[in-house]
Amino acid sequence: MTGLGRIGLVAVRELRAERREPDGIVAAVTFIAVLVLLESLVVGPVVARDADIAPALFWIALAFATILATMRSFDRELEDDALEGLVALPGGRDALFGGKVVAIAVVLAIVALVGGLLSLVLLDLPLALPLHLVVVVVLGVVALPPVVVVDVVLALRLRARAALVPILALPVLVPQLVAASRGASAAIAGDAVGALSWAGLLFAFAVVYGVIGLTIVPAAIE
Amino acid sequence: MIETTFWRGSVPRVRPLLGTVAAASFVVASYMALVWAPTDAVQGDVYRILYVHVPLAWLAYLAFVIVFLASIGWLWTKRPVFDAIAVASAEIGVLFTGLFLVAGSIWAKPTWGVWWTWEPRLVTTAIMFVMYVGYLLLRGLSTDFSRRATRAAVFGIVAVIDVPIVHLSVLWANSLHQLPTVLRVAGSPALDTPMLVTLMVSLGAYTLIYAYFMSARVSLELARQGRLWTRT
Repeated sequence: MTGLGRIGLVAVRELRAERREPDGIVAAVTFIAVLVLLESLVVGPVVARDADIAPALFWIALAFATILATMRSFDRELEDDALEGLVALPGGRDALFGGKVVAIAVVLAIVALVGGLLSLVLLDLPLALPLHLVVVVVLGVVALPPVVVVDVVLALRLRARAALVPILALPVLVPQLVAASRGASAAIAGDAVGALSWAGLLFAFAVVYGVIGLTIVPAAIE
Repeated sequence: MIETTFWRGSVPRVRPLLGTVAAASFVVASYMALVWAPTDAVQGDVYRILYVHVPLAWLAYLAFVIVFLASIGWLWTKRPVFDAIAVASAEIGVLFTGLFLVAGSIWAKPTWGVWWTWEPRLVTTAIMFVMYVGYLLLRGLSTDFSRRATRAAVFGIVAVIDVPIVHLSVLWANSLHQLPTVLRVAGSPALDTPMLVTLMVSLGAYTLIYAYFMSARVSLELARQGRLWTRT
């Protein structure tokens, strides 16, 4: 079986596990919905509708949702003692990283869809370029998981893991969060060139961290 | 074996001399910065903090690049000396970044009117600081030597991407922070020769201080690793 095939297999296995016990996705969706509701209460309905504020809060919420979903995914592996078996297989470590990234990206796409629709409807955001926004969201959803999966793997089986993962992941995610927020703001405001250039940066970060993850993360899984 | 002889034999012998040279060069650099260098036409004497702020920034970058290289060294060879170099450089890098932020803040108050402003260079530097505090935290929470070194090495490689982002943030975004005056894309340094000479002497002095700290901390870490191996 090729490397891509193994990655696909782990991703499908992961998504099946998520469908059987959807606690990760439920937690992430609930989390982002609560944040969207809190947003207009905390900053006020006028500020919450601002084309810069709403996307920024949305992407920060999505970053936390990624951490939540990834940690839940690895917790499930540890609870079932499934990690050792997977790692022992030939090419298992690469497949574990790649498969988790793909599966978390799919989960995150669902979370982003629900959170995005909630934001658009509840905050009544005037959306100028919907297709551009979709491109930014898709690339943002692809750019977040590689970093978070790397950091969750690094903190695996450590005490204070729940506190450590956000400390490690959020500073590394800053460029992706800035690009995703600015890209979404540009799409909402009708700036097509701005939206696409930020989307390009997101794509670049997704590729860079994807390659770094596939190259060095297998070494960290012991 | 070679590195053990080097770090436990040659380095401790040379260290007192290195310390003396570093201290002497620091005194010379301070004299040049406070007395010899001319007063700036626009900022007056307050600009003299540049001779502390800029070398600290460059050395912080260097420290984190060394963490990156040592991390690759550990993952490639699994030689403990690389892990010792990485942790030593990360600790010194965090110290220098903290001092560089404080010095920048002290400079910002009289020139910008605020201790802190949310502009790209400051924010990305603060993020770099937090990132390497996280690196040290990750090390602190791992107990097994080999796993700790591997986890830290992976993070040391991932985190280095922030270093060019910090340096180039002033070029990429509309920034209150001044543009590079020495490493400029076009043209020679935008500094008077006496100012440039003083800056280079300061940079040399801080580099020697970094080298001294490194030699002491790496030897300490190797001794600590030796005790760990003996215990296990």
